[in-house]
Amino acid sequence: MKKLSVIALETGREELMEGLMALGAVEITSQEDKLADDHWKELVALDGNQSDAAGYEAELSSVNQVLEALDRYGTEKKPLFSTRLPVKKEKFKQVLKEREEIQQKVDLILSLLHRMAEVNSAINKAEAGILSLLPWEGWDLPLENKGTIYTDVMIGVLPAGAQVDKLEQVLDEKTRGSILGHLNSDNEQHYISFIGLKEERELAEETLKLFGFTKVQFPDLTDTAAKNIEKYREKLSALQDEKAKLEEAIRAEEGEKDKLRYLYDSLVIARDRADIRNRLLVTGKTFYIEGWVPAIAAESLEKLLGEKGCYYQLEDPEKGEKTPVLLLNGKFSLPFESITRLYALPSSGGLDATPFFSLSFAVFFGLMFSDTAYGIILTLATYLVLKKFRLEGMTYRMIKMFFYCGIATIFWGVMFGGFFGDIITVVAKTFFHKDVVIPAIWFNPMEEPMTLLLFSFALGLVHIYIGMGLKAYLDIKDGRPFDAFCDIGLWYLLLTGGVIWLAGAMGGIGGPGLSAIGKWMTIVGAVGIILTGGRQKKGIGKIIGGFGSLYGVTGYLSDVLSYSRLLALGLATSVIASVVNTMGSLSGGGIKGMIIMVIVGIIGHSYNMAINALGSFVHSCRLEYVEFFGKFYIGGGEAFEPFAQNTKYIEIREDH
Amino acid sequence: MNTEVANLVFNGSYLAILGAAIAALAGIGSAIGIGVAGQAASGVVAEDPKKFGQALILQALPGTQGIYGLLIAFIIMQKIGILGGAGLLDLTIPQGAYIFAASLPIGLVGIWSGMAQGRCAASAIMLISKRPEEIAKGMVYTAMVETYAVLALLISFLMVNGVQI
Repeated sequence: MKKLSVIALETGREELMEGLMALGAVEITSQEDKLADDHWKELVALDGNQSDAAGYEAELSSVNQVLEALDRYGTEKKPLFSTRLPVKKEKFKQVLKEREEIQQKVDLILSLLHRMAEVNSAINKAEAGILSLLPWEGWDLPLENKGTIYTDVMIGVLPAGAQVDKLEQVLDEKTRGSILGHLNSDNEQHYISFIGLKEERELAEETLKLFGFTKVQFPDLTDTAAKNIEKYREKLSALQDEKAKLEEAIRAEEGEKDKLRYLYDSLVIARDRADIRNRLLVTGKTFYIEGWVPAIAAESLEKLLGEKGCYYQLEDPEKGEKTPVLLLNGKFSLPFESITRLYALPSSGGLDATPFFSLSFAVFFGLMFSDTAYGIILTLATYLVLKKFRLEGMTYRMIKMFFYCGIATIFWGVMFGGFFGDIITVVAKTFFHKDVVIPAIWFNPMEEPMTLLLFSFALGLVHIYIGMGLKAYLDIKDGRPFDAFCDIGLWYLLLTGGVIWLAGAMGGIGGPGLSAIGKWMTIVGAVGIILTGGRQKKGIGKIIGGFGSLYGVTGYLSDVLSYSRLLALGLATSVIASVVNTMGSLSGGGIKGMIIMVIVGIIGHSYNMAINALGSFVHSCRLEYVEFFGKFYIGGGEAFEPFAQNTKYIEIREDH
Repeated sequence: MNTEVANLVFNGSYLAILGAAIAALAGIGSAIGIGVAGQAASGVVAEDPKKFGQALILQALPGTQGIYGLLIAFIIMQKIGILGGAGLLDLTIPQGAYIFAASLPIGLVGIWSGMAQGRCAASAIMLISKRPEEIAKGMVYTAMVETYAVLALLISFLMVNGVQI
């Protein structure tokens, strides 16, 4: 990263900003702190123009609304991965010449959507109206009828618990002329009509109240309930017709989607350009920007700035200054950046771990997923996705990473002789009554699990050694070679010596001479660690610290043992695969058996693949994050976010 | 009568089958763990249905204990001849008892680690409800628990593998 500061003429600003955006290699930093500085404050002001950016934001949200509506009502299928369409700058500009027409389309669809919202709310209203009237459908007097000269007419509800016949009985007893109608009932209430003499009103009302009667009125409605329902239904069907027509009309505009996407992206660019002005300082005739540029992009940036006639300065950051972080990796390591990113970006002065674990990640994944057929499926599937879609960013990296992991899986599958577990053996035995065994090129882990276990530990030891080596490298780079010697060198001595000693003492490997060398290496290492482990402490702490450091040997032990998961998960894949095969073969030979075998195989192996691919991924991550990163990695950097065309649908390419 | 029952129970083949059954009990832990994680997942998906896929991945993590149990049960069954056509072998009592003992690590560790991992997965699901981009961290926290199920699986496997029949 290099620190960039530019002073340029106000007149050339638009052009320069456009150039910087197309280059996409400069992160322009906020200058708030300069404005707080008295010295700067006299000279410059912030160029910001919030209302411009807000205006673009509003337009963006309406275009987005239209695009979403087209997705919702349209017939076009959503692709599995959304990718950006590569388009030349010339074409992009050309499409946007029709900006006004596109804008008209946006307005048209927006008005359709607006009408759609109205129609939807009218539909809701009509449906609610029908629901509220349905219980009264049997009431054949007009709803506005409140009575005659001598009678009161009303409708109302009783709670579900009330006894309607009892109420009728009481009314009959107490009054001379009351007619109670039981129109309807549901779970919550009874729907009641009442006609009574006006002169007995008080008496009747009292009785009704006793039974929990609540009057119901429809102040806005005239005519009977049934007729009103009829009216609502007519309205509803008209509304639904209109809704269908509106959907049709929106769908008819689906062809405009592409152009709308152009508009959307041009608005994104315009908004970002307006936004960035909040990071510009202006004097009147000149403006000032400050930012970061990756060292590799410095040359093309200098060319651009030279062309535009700016005064600029490129400096290396001061020691210890925090810079944004950009990961740069080769072709093979690049996809594994996704794993680093999922953990945390390295700190600004730190080391990018990606190139150091890419290979081991694939190897671990392959060991745990170890099945040739699964590997082939994974490799092919990811290969096809990569071929078919122009993926970018994180999605691309993930898919590509699984592609490499698939290849590693094939490798280990061949080594250990697994193809859908033992499907070939099972099929040959069940259907052809022959004994066929695919020989493993190296060995079969089911028969020699100890070999694979030791191999896993060995791999783990190498992996941990690499992590420790990186720590030593960082120490030396920081000018602390003594720390590197004490914290890493002595441990190398102790661990290597320990392994040789144990191998000699327990396995009889290497003979007594070598074992003795190992023993002395262990002792020297241990003594060294005890003597130096507490060097940063004072007094008695020096001794305790030394023994404390030596106790760290348990940490290394558990780190190495942790790699036993390579064996365990590898076995899980192959044993579950053979469980599936055995289940498939249980119904014996013949056509029927074959069909069952195929069905059980497809379901079982898909399941096994899914669960074990997930497991292999998670546990490879764990081995990298905990056992490897833990040795040296310092995360916590801020991502480099260049001022660029962060478009959503279109990738604009320079004309060449 | 009593000797008949005693012969049935204190018999190598029976002990070995009992071992396979105990190994398969690891599924209890997975079932509980997945259940706990699933409840959390439903809560999160109710807020944001787009998180279904992510939540499902995390929910699946405590499922492995059941698989490890199945794996050991399967290997035992194959070893004593229930699977693979040869028919149940006649085992001596020590042989059966060894297989029984070998099944204990995965059976017991599977149950408790599955439950603990389920709670961890549920918390990870809560984590993605606020910060979906941090799913990898939730996965690693959850996988930390599984280490001990893996170790138990390994020990059970090596023991079963080491018993001579």
